[in-house]
Amino acid sequence: MTPPPGSLLAAQELRKAYGPTVALDGAEFSIHPGEVVAVMGPSGSGKSTLLHCLAGIVPPDSGSITYNGRELATMNDAQRSALRRSEFGFVFQFGQLVPELTCVENVALPLRLNGTSRKEAEKTALTWMERLEVDDLRKKRPGEVSGGQGQRVAVARALVTNPRVLFADEPTGALDSLNGERVMELLTDAARSTNAAVVLVTHEARVAAYSDREIVVRDGKSRDMERVV
Amino acid sequence: MSMGQWAKDLGMGVRFAFAGGREGWVRALLTAVGVGLGVALLLLTTAVPNMQTVRQERESARTDLNYSYTDLKKSDRTLIVADVDTDFRDKDIRGRALEPEGPSAPLPPGVEKFPGVGEMVVSPALKRLLESDGAKLLRERLPERIVGTIGESGLIGSHELAFFRGGDGLAPHIDGSRVARIERFGDTSPVETRTDPVLILLVIVVFVVLLMPVAVFIAAAVRFGGERRDRRLAALRLVGSDSRMTRRIAAGEALAGAVLGLVFGTVFFLIGRQIAGSVEVFDVSVFPSYLNPSPALALLVGLAVPAAAVLVTLFAMRGVVIEPLGVVRTAKPSRRRLWWRLLLPLGGLAMLWPMIGQGRDNGTFNEYLVIGGVLLLLIGVTTLLPWIVEAVVARLGSGGVAWQLAVRRLQLSSGTAARMVNGVAVAVAGAIALQMLFAGVESSYTKQSRYDTQRAQMEVSLSRNAPLDPAVEEFRDTKGVQQVYAFAEGYLGERRKDPEMGAEMTVGDCASLRQAAELPSCRDGDIFYVSNSEYDEDTRELVKQPGRTVYLDPSYDGGPPRQEIAWTVPQDLKKAGTHEDFMGRQRGGFLLTPKALPAAAAPALRGQVYLKLDRSVPDVYDHVRNTSTAADPLSYPMTWFSTQTADRYNTIRTGLFVGAVCVLALIGASLLVSQLEQLRDRKKLLSSLVAFGTRRRTLSLSVLWQTAIPIALGLLLSSVVGLTLGAVLLRMTDTPIMVAWTSVLSMLGVGAGIVLAVTLLSLPPLLRLMRPDGLRTE
Repeated sequence: MTPPPGSLLAAQELRKAYGPTVALDGAEFSIHPGEVVAVMGPSGSGKSTLLHCLAGIVPPDSGSITYNGRELATMNDAQRSALRRSEFGFVFQFGQLVPELTCVENVALPLRLNGTSRKEAEKTALTWMERLEVDDLRKKRPGEVSGGQGQRVAVARALVTNPRVLFADEPTGALDSLNGERVMELLTDAARSTNAAVVLVTHEARVAAYSDREIVVRDGKSRDMERVV
Repeated sequence: MSMGQWAKDLGMGVRFAFAGGREGWVRALLTAVGVGLGVALLLLTTAVPNMQTVRQERESARTDLNYSYTDLKKSDRTLIVADVDTDFRDKDIRGRALEPEGPSAPLPPGVEKFPGVGEMVVSPALKRLLESDGAKLLRERLPERIVGTIGESGLIGSHELAFFRGGDGLAPHIDGSRVARIERFGDTSPVETRTDPVLILLVIVVFVVLLMPVAVFIAAAVRFGGERRDRRLAALRLVGSDSRMTRRIAAGEALAGAVLGLVFGTVFFLIGRQIAGSVEVFDVSVFPSYLNPSPALALLVGLAVPAAAVLVTLFAMRGVVIEPLGVVRTAKPSRRRLWWRLLLPLGGLAMLWPMIGQGRDNGTFNEYLVIGGVLLLLIGVTTLLPWIVEAVVARLGSGGVAWQLAVRRLQLSSGTAARMVNGVAVAVAGAIALQMLFAGVESSYTKQSRYDTQRAQMEVSLSRNAPLDPAVEEFRDTKGVQQVYAFAEGYLGERRKDPEMGAEMTVGDCASLRQAAELPSCRDGDIFYVSNSEYDEDTRELVKQPGRTVYLDPSYDGGPPRQEIAWTVPQDLKKAGTHEDFMGRQRGGFLLTPKALPAAAAPALRGQVYLKLDRSVPDVYDHVRNTSTAADPLSYPMTWFSTQTADRYNTIRTGLFVGAVCVLALIGASLLVSQLEQLRDRKKLLSSLVAFGTRRRTLSLSVLWQTAIPIALGLLLSSVVGLTLGAVLLRMTDTPIMVAWTSVLSMLGVGAGIVLAVTLLSLPPLLRLMRPDGLRTE
């Protein structure tokens, strides 16, 4: 199985089952640097499982995933964790910010996990917070900010390490349409400015509209919907 | 607010406690198990007074030897009882030889029929021991055929080792102390003993110290599942429940857990009661029937636990604002105030202060003040700790990621962390105070024995009339015996009746006599006198008149009266100097070598053997006991120790150890449950942190810091409170203050060990929760 030429991250013939429930059944995926790909499909279709497999969070039962020419299956847990820390960024539906840390500490966390000093990490974090228009929240805790603000903090946290791939799982699922659109604008602009690829899991067409290409997952199978923005 | 509304809200809470499918039931069961463990311990405590009473009653009912010579004549109703107690390894065995003198002789409690000669009835525990493989030596000592079992009414504990054997020819040995003629069992003249006030103080403090952490534990247990419950209550606010109703519903949930906990606690207690009958802790065993809780105290537990659950929940909910739309305010709570938290321990000190310097000679301590003072001081730990944790973590600087995650979490919810370690802190503070008190008063109760355990390690008293020489030969041939020193001992007076002067007479070979006094020279036939030993004023008077007749009288030594034997003080006495004998005393009176003793005087003397042993020989003490029993069934072998501890002191210390083990195990279990619940609540967050590459080690370390910081502060506070309480208690008993640092450190170590164990036990579930599949929602 050879990945498509020029692809940064590619998956072929992915299969994954949770007990008797088949989540992925021969799914295919590929993304190029700087590309935004929306993974769409109804609830329970296997979108999130595909994202988790692509990010090396969950190992597939079979199939191949290559990142930058390296097979993920050949890496051990520590190597995959290091990859996620340095090359990937994540945004989840509910932000999943650490409630005890302030917003700037949350954004700085991935850098600190990579060994950057606290001062340096928070300085970098603040520049990303400015870009995402949440720098005034730096001393607040996640419990003290709104859902949209929290999600922008989460996007800043995902981008602070300059990842090559940003995984966003329903990033606007818990937001109203106005906030959702603002988050998507900021997310895609920031990603494109750093040439990061974005894997965007959503079931909303208006969110998918921010992507360059759409993939539909249904019953664990994927179908590429070529679309030019 | 009507009672009806209260009842309605509480009732709704009770329904919610069991709603929510499997998760709801699991939460209710966890709470019930937690409360149940506490209730079981409380019920056990309420049963302790009854247990002590029953044990005392049984002991009193089977009393046979009262150590006074009564001139009871043989009749159809009399029984001769001989004390044939023995030991096997470190176990005491109660033994009696019974010789009924008529058909109406009284049967001992628990025995249906007198065993004949060559027969014995034994306690179930002794039967098991005798049938076990390792009891061959004991079986040699107790070779009689087992013809029955002693019933429960004749035993004070389920594991008591006891036997009754058939006796024969005991009448000549009657001395009132070890062999007696009786008409009935039971203590005929029980003596009202005044219990030492310091001992009472110790008992009170032990109970308060042990029960206080149980109360803290119950308070923590009713709050299991608190975070999920808050989210559930937020949903209720959304559909129109006001904040007061919400609090009452929460209290109702806690009430359900507490009531179910009462049921569980009763079941645990009943199971524990049965188990208690089959275990023995520090040589104390009980029968399940002993453990009947006092009805009034049991009722108090039954009412207080649910009431406490409701009150604790209402109190705890004060600081939580539950808002509709699923929002539970998690903003920084208002700063804790110190003044009222300080009032509690200071109030405790104020209650104890008037009793300082009272000592043991000024009557009993005011029990209410003692209980109140100790309680307030220990409650002070639970109120001060949250303040201290909050104040300290607010000042903690940042470090690595693990440290930062832990410190920030503690800053946000220091109360939860403090609650988790409150129980351990209270138990450790109480234990430190008790250790100090014990160490302080120990010298009053533990005496260095005067026995010279270098020269001899066992002493055997032969019964009156038992021949000494053959016994000595048998001891010499006994495995592990290195040296045998034998004496025949008696007392003499200057008149046949009511003498005014008296002296000891000791007969032994030269080697033995040299152990008792400084002899100038010695050969068989010599007679010595020691006139300058302590407490002996009379010998020097008696030796002034050689040729005078003195009388050996066995009744001086508890023997039968009117059997005096005349002896003439000889002319050629040699003077011997004093030194301490095996028992650390200066022996006075007359020392005779065997040839110097007239044959007629022998019956007035009693054989005494001192043995130097090779303690590396396995079971050397039991080899000696076997020889002793074979040589003289009524002999009394005794093992010497370098220290002697008062029995009651031992009992209290034993109680403390048993109780502390139970309480710390309970607190450890509660800590673990609480820890796991908090981790489950954070499953999604943990998974997402792992998703973006956080090392598992970082998260594990963060969990460890979250536990270690509050426990370090808790132990520090408990040391301060424990040492203060210990110092006050010592001053109350008028004992110089001294700190047993090893005990303090060991108690701190135990507390820290509990937390470490809990952290280690919570690591496997933590690692499972950190799996990325925690991110799945479908």
